[in-house]
Order: sequence, then C-alpha cells, then structure tokens
Amino acid sequence: MLKNYLKIALKVLLRRKFFTFISLFGISFTLVVLMVASALFDHAFGPLSPELKTDRMLGIYTVRMEMPEKGMARTAAAPYWFLDRYVRTLATPEKVSIFSSQKTVSAFKNGVKHILFFKRTDGQFWEILDFDFLEGGPFTAQDEKEANMVAVINEATRQKFFDGGSAAGKTIEVDGQSFRVAGVVPNVPIFRITSYADVWVPLSTAKSNAYLRDQTGNFWALMLAKRRDDVPKIKEELQGVISNVEFPNPNEFNTLIAAAETLFESVARGFFSQDRTAGNYSAHLLALLLTLAVLFMLLPTLNLININVSRIMERASEIGVRKAFGASSWTLVGQFVVENLILTLVGGVIAFFGAMLILNMLTNSGLIQYAEFHINYRIFLYGLAVALFFGLFSGVYPAWKMSRLHPVEALRGKSL
Amino acid sequence: MIKHLFKLVWNRKRSNLLIMLEIFFSFIVMFAVITLSVYYADNYRQPLGFSFENVWNISIDMRVATDDIWSPEMVKTTEQLYLALKDFEEIEMAAGAHSAPYGFGNRTSVNEYDGKRVEMEVNEVTDDFLKVMEVPLVRGRWFDKSDDALNWKPVVINQRLAREVFGSEDPIDKKYEPWSSSGEDVRVIGVVTDFRQGGEFAGLGNYLFERKRLDDPNNRPPRNLLIKLRPGTTAEFEENLVSKLQAVAREWSFEVLPLTRMREIAFKFRLIPIIILGLIAGFLMIMVGLGLVGVLWQNVTQRIKEIGLRRAKGATVGNIHMQILGELIVLTSFGVLLGAIILVQFPLLDLIGFISTRVFAIGLVVAVLVIYALTFVAGLYPSWLATKVQPAEALHYE
Repeated sequence: MLKNYLKIALKVLLRRKFFTFISLFGISFTLVVLMVASALFDHAFGPLSPELKTDRMLGIYTVRMEMPEKGMARTAAAPYWFLDRYVRTLATPEKVSIFSSQKTVSAFKNGVKHILFFKRTDGQFWEILDFDFLEGGPFTAQDEKEANMVAVINEATRQKFFDGGSAAGKTIEVDGQSFRVAGVVPNVPIFRITSYADVWVPLSTAKSNAYLRDQTGNFWALMLAKRRDDVPKIKEELQGVISNVEFPNPNEFNTLIAAAETLFESVARGFFSQDRTAGNYSAHLLALLLTLAVLFMLLPTLNLININVSRIMERASEIGVRKAFGASSWTLVGQFVVENLILTLVGGVIAFFGAMLILNMLTNSGLIQYAEFHINYRIFLYGLAVALFFGLFSGVYPAWKMSRLHPVEALRGKSL
Repeated sequence: MIKHLFKLVWNRKRSNLLIMLEIFFSFIVMFAVITLSVYYADNYRQPLGFSFENVWNISIDMRVATDDIWSPEMVKTTEQLYLALKDFEEIEMAAGAHSAPYGFGNRTSVNEYDGKRVEMEVNEVTDDFLKVMEVPLVRGRWFDKSDDALNWKPVVINQRLAREVFGSEDPIDKKYEPWSSSGEDVRVIGVVTDFRQGGEFAGLGNYLFERKRLDDPNNRPPRNLLIKLRPGTTAEFEENLVSKLQAVAREWSFEVLPLTRMREIAFKFRLIPIIILGLIAGFLMIMVGLGLVGVLWQNVTQRIKEIGLRRAKGATVGNIHMQILGELIVLTSFGVLLGAIILVQFPLLDLIGFISTRVFAIGLVVAVLVIYALTFVAGLYPSWLATKVQPAEALHYE
C-alpha cells in the first residue's frame, strides 16, 4: 500500500512542476534555516573535541555572592578560594580542574600586534579534556606547582608566531611574560568557552599571587564524574557544601549561590533566573527554543497549506473514485499525509545540502573564530526530526480537508 | 464595485481566511525587520558627538574583579601611567575615562524624581577628555583644574538630558535634580550636543559626565586611557607603548586598540544580526510571493467558467484584471489591517521603549507598501492568465 502511495505521490509531484517547485522552495528554505540553527546549537553544546566527555562533565561557571544586610550582590565567575577549598575537595568527582575564564591579551611579533585569548589552568585541565596534541604535550600538575613558565598554544598561534614551523621548546612572549612552548593543539572553536583559548599557561604563573587570597575572582571549575550516574550526586554534594561556606571576609559577602551544571544549564539559569537561585532551567530554555522554531515555521506552514488546499480540486475525481469504492476518510488522510511527508523529505534532502553549503561558507568566512562546522549524525537526526515534524504540521489540515470531499460531488467535479 | 469584490471574497471565506492569515504574518515579519532597519538608519544619521580619528584606547586590566574595589596604590599607578603617556613624542594628548567609546561596558543610572523616570548613561572622565575626543560643547564650560577647590560636584550633560530634566530653562549652575536625593550637591556646569558612546548605530539616550581626578585616592582609577596621536603615527608605535606601560605597572595588562578598529567591531556586532534577519525575511517573502502565485493560478483555473461568462457578457481585459487583482487587494487589506491594529497597540500602550513613534510609523508605512507591492506582483501573472480565457472554450469547459 505504501508503495502505491509512493508511486502516486511521485506522479503528482511530476505532474505540475511549477507547484512542486514552489512547495519545495518553501520547504527547503525553512529546513535549511532550522538545520543551520541546530548545527550552531550542537556546535556550542554538543560533544566536540576537546570536550568529548560532555555527558560526564559539569562546570561551575557563575556564582552569586550576596550580603543581604547591605543589599549587595555580585554575579560573576567564581573566586579562587571557593573553588580551591570547596570544589576541589568534593568526593564524588573523579577529577576537578580550576582555570581562569579567558581574557584577551596582546602579544607582539616583529612589530605586529596579535590579540590572543589567554587562559590560566591547572594540570587536571589537560586530563579532563581530550586535546589532540600536534606536537609536544600538556603541562603537568608539577609545572603548575613549581610555576614553570610553560605554555600550550593552538595551531593559529603557532602559525602567527612561528610561521607554521615547529614550536615546541621555543619561547613565546605573551602579555609581558615569556613562556616556553610545551605543546601545540588544534584550534578550539570560540563557542566552546570552557576549553577555548589561544594560549594556556599554568595558574601559578600569574603576575601576582593575589588571586589566591582575593575575595572575588574570575575562575571556572570543571568536574569529571566517574560514571554518568554520578552527575546528579555531584550536584547534590555541591549544594550540601555551599551552605557551610566560610568567607575570608564575611563583612563584604556572606552568602553564596552556585551550582554544578553543564554549560547549557548555566546559560538557561542565567536567562530565566536573574538572581541565579539554584535549580534546573534547561527545560525552560529548550521549550523557548522549540517555540521559536515553531513560530518560525508558522509562515512556511501556512504557505504550504494554502498551496495544498488550493490544489484539492486537481485530485477531486481521484478522491471521488477512491471514496465510491469504499476508502474511508482516515485512509485518505493517511495517504495525503504520507504524500506531504514524502515532499518534505525530498525538501529535507535539498535542505541538507543547502545547510552543508552555508555551514561551509560560515567556516570559510572566519566570522566565528576557529569554527569548523561539520555535519555529524546528530545534526542529521535533528534535520530528519524537523523535516518530519514540518511535514506533519503542514500536511494534516489539507489532508483532512481533502478527505471530506463528498464522493458524488467530487466525481462531478464540483468545487468546494 | 468594491462591495461586489467584498462579496466575492466573503463567498470563499474558508480558503481566503488562510491566505489572509499568511499575509498577516508576512506583514508582521516585514514590519519587524523594516522597523529595525529604519531604527538603525535613523540612528546612523544623528550626530555622534565625538571624533574617533587618530584616537587609540588603552584598556587597563587591573586584575580586580569589580570596579568598586580599588586601593590608593592603584590610583597612584594610574597617575604614573598617565604621566608616562605624556612623555611620548607621538602622543598629543591623553585622558582617562571609566568607559570607552565603542566599548561594550557602560554605567547606567536610573532615577525617579518629581514623578519622572530619568535614565542615563554615566561616564567618569578627566579634564582632557573633551579635547581628546573633540566633544562639541554648546553651553557653559567643561571640567578644569579649578574644580579641585569646589565643595560641590560638577557634572556635564548632553542636550537630550538637559531638555528632559530642565525643559526650556538654562541648566547651567542649576542643581541636578535626579541626584539630589543622595544629599550630594550636584550642579550642571556645561552641556554638550551629544556623546553617543555605543557608536553610530546605538540608540539615542541621555548622557552625563562626572569629573575624574587622577590625584585623588578616593576617586576610583579610570579603566581606559584615551590617547590622541599626532598624525602619521604608525601601528608599530603600539609595541613600544605597551612595553613602557608594562614597565610602570608590572602586574596589570593592557589592551590597545585604535578607535577606528573598535568602531569596525561595534559595526559588525550590530549589523551582522540584522543582515541575517534581513536575508531570512527576504527568502520568506520570496516564498510567500511564489506561494501566492500558485494559489491564485489554481484559483483562476477553477473559475474559468465564471470568467468566461463575464467575458461573454462583455467584460473587458481590464475588467478581468480589476476583478482578480481587486479581490487580492481586498484580501491583503484585511491581513494588513489586522496586523496594523495589533501593532498600533505597541506605541499606544508604550511597550516599545527604545523605538520612537516616528521610526515606528515609518516602519509601518514601508511594511504596508512592501506587502501591497508583493501581493500585487504575485497577482500579475495569474490575472494575465485570466484575461486569456476564451469565453467560447470556457463555457463548455468541464
């Protein structure tokens, strides 16, 4: 039966080529936009080298420190003392890394200035994240302890400072400090804010060690769970710990709100909970994004429905014959929905290539630093899901309307 | 004639309703994109209030987490940096500022007084700021050394803020009301035309300058130093400059950018989203246009008998054109009217803070024109098809 539907659908598509073209144009365009959007989303939040273990990784990106008595509050990256004393000591995570949120610094090479993103990290950073080293290797916990002036740089920086030649063991001057290059890694896309930088150096090489004592600071933590089941346990353990935090200077701040969360959860919490109270808001953000996608599909859907409805008469005699021979309305609805799904899937294939082309252009334009968009199976699945949803969304009403044609009138070719 | 068109549209209300909805949504999308573009274009035409040529910004990272925490040593170091800048041949003038033009950081203040709500951007700048940035002063005077001795706090405001707070009165030497509640004696000493810190595309807002002193440990140090270079200074100067600054403040970091470069970044930041939105909206409109062509074409083929009858009864080609396009225009008008009724609620209920009524009205009118043009063009081919109907054939068409 499905084979018959397929045959009929193909014949209908080829009969009026102009109509098929305008339907496909709308469908492909809509799906291209949604596929590119989901590729960007996946690029920012899905697993991507070097963050391959995203399902076991949790971070602490923002903390809120308050002094309710004075009405003071500060929401920003965490101070070092908090992460060092209360997060590094958590029992559940396998590994904990503390590193500075990235900032830009300038470095000069032959009188030309380069602006580099700069991160100070500990040794664990390199164990939690799966960097592929092009040459050399990471710096270690030992380097961090001894404040050795060593650095890991990315490929783009090697290109700028060493003309693409070997860099390991050579010296690079960044932000007024000299570092020996320990290793070179491939470029990390700018969207991956957890791991992204141009140059990574040990925390302890900071120009002053005041960060160890400062009441506030700009540090992030990354935790790796032993198993996926441990993720909720880590979240719980942290909540248990933060209620007993002892502040170095309790006259300035005395309450702290923080959560161990994925980057997406952190973004969602920042978006929906202005005062950063703990809680999981990722479902809210996901719902918001899906609503936006459906809103965007509204106009293309109306367009497709209008075209389909206006073409019912073309099929009137076919419907009349089917009905006269006993086909139920439901069978007909099924048939037309399947036809529409086939059309959307054809549009989906076109859109898939269109999206690939646009993502390629985005990669080559350099608009998003170091971004390399590749179509992976997740994006393919998102695209398929979106195409199927769109096909159903736009196919049901015309199909229902078609199935309601009265057989006698339909056979006579009377208009609705 | 028009009554007749309405009747024709009404008779096919079920399928026309969907087309009308499509036009309605297209109108809303067009309105949003066009209004945003008009808003940007309108902002771009307004005076900027400063000059960015030959000015570089040195952003200082003092390695502290908030602006509100500083030590007297930090103020001292900043002053030393400022003095070091003055030694350079290449630098004509230098000034300190809390936030830099085209930068992303700014300080805002919202005050309620006299039942009015006044919102403004605030910047703290040193005495040389006016000359470095070439801010046009229209009334009163700018900060100078003699202000050290004052026992009240001088501020300079832009014309928009002067109008909002003082109306038509001369604001010079008047108490600055919005800040009077803090108990501080704040007085206006000068008015500048404008200072649009966010750059050409940023919205028009109120602006207020406070005076910053580099020799007062109670005054927080500026986060940015702006330098006016002598013409002909090359980019190589930067390395020299940074190493000198680094020698003065070893623990701090400096980021030097010419304002022209910061301007480019700010432009990209504002324009890229609207270009992407515009492209998407453009494709949506092509899709809607093509869809309308398809629907109307189908419509004409279904009504061949009716059209044939009209032709047989003596209707001219023009009459047929009028009928098909007329019906379409009636339909479009319904969609646009519905959209306009909903959209007009926004300025009426004061829901759009940043877009002025004028920009809103221009956006609305342009969107209406675009939608009419789109549906008209989409209707041309089907209505031409309708005029080709031969009465003799049409009447025995089955």
